[in-house]
Amino acid sequence: MKSTAQQLRTEANWPPQEGQIISFRSSTGSETDILQEVRWGLVWRDFILEDGRVIPEHRVSGCPRPQVWRKISEVTDQEREECEERLLSMAGAGLDPRKRDQPFWAELNQYLAYTYLRFKQAGPKAQDSEPG
Amino acid sequence: MSRSGQETEEQEVWRVLSEAGLIEIRLDQFAERIRDVKRIVGIRLHELLDFKTGIQERESAAYSLGTLKRLELKVLANVPKPPDSSEM
Repeated sequence: MKSTAQQLRTEANWPPQEGQIISFRSSTGSETDILQEVRWGLVWRDFILEDGRVIPEHRVSGCPRPQVWRKISEVTDQEREECEERLLSMAGAGLDPRKRDQPFWAELNQYLAYTYLRFKQAGPKAQDSEPG
Repeated sequence: MSRSGQETEEQEVWRVLSEAGLIEIRLDQFAERIRDVKRIVGIRLHELLDFKTGIQERESAAYSLGTLKRLELKVLANVPKPPDSSEM
């Protein structure tokens, strides 16, 4: 377990910079690769590696806990619509979401998580409570 | 804070998504998870149809439902077929 001082150091340096080597958990165990980009998805951050793989932040070594996630209300309609278009485009191109750590897999994971949270938490709102 | 009184919002979201199997979807469970989310969106859409307001959310929910249906069809179309027992 990390000491408080170690934890603070990790959080101060988080997320890692582009070009840094990061360690992460993959389906085959622990791996390292060069970080190309850190990108926010609809819910969590994805770490894009130089080889094109997409690793969710919670699988990257040193990720502070609890990790920072977006609030559903922060996602704009435009952002959601763009994500839906990308997903349909990738599906239309014949990509298979069952290829772990690939962009389609990563984006579909986040879209399902976001959509679930959005409608599960919504429930009837006060302003909607006028039965038609 | 949520039901436990000590759970932060982030922890609650993590728990909710974990329980729904949506943090890291297993490769063989995409179609099932899409169906689960479709069901949640469908329930909400029915609620919205009972009210006079919320037109924008209703349209958005209907669009999301359509997107999920199309994705489900694509995923199902790509499901690897089990070996044909008659060929064995």
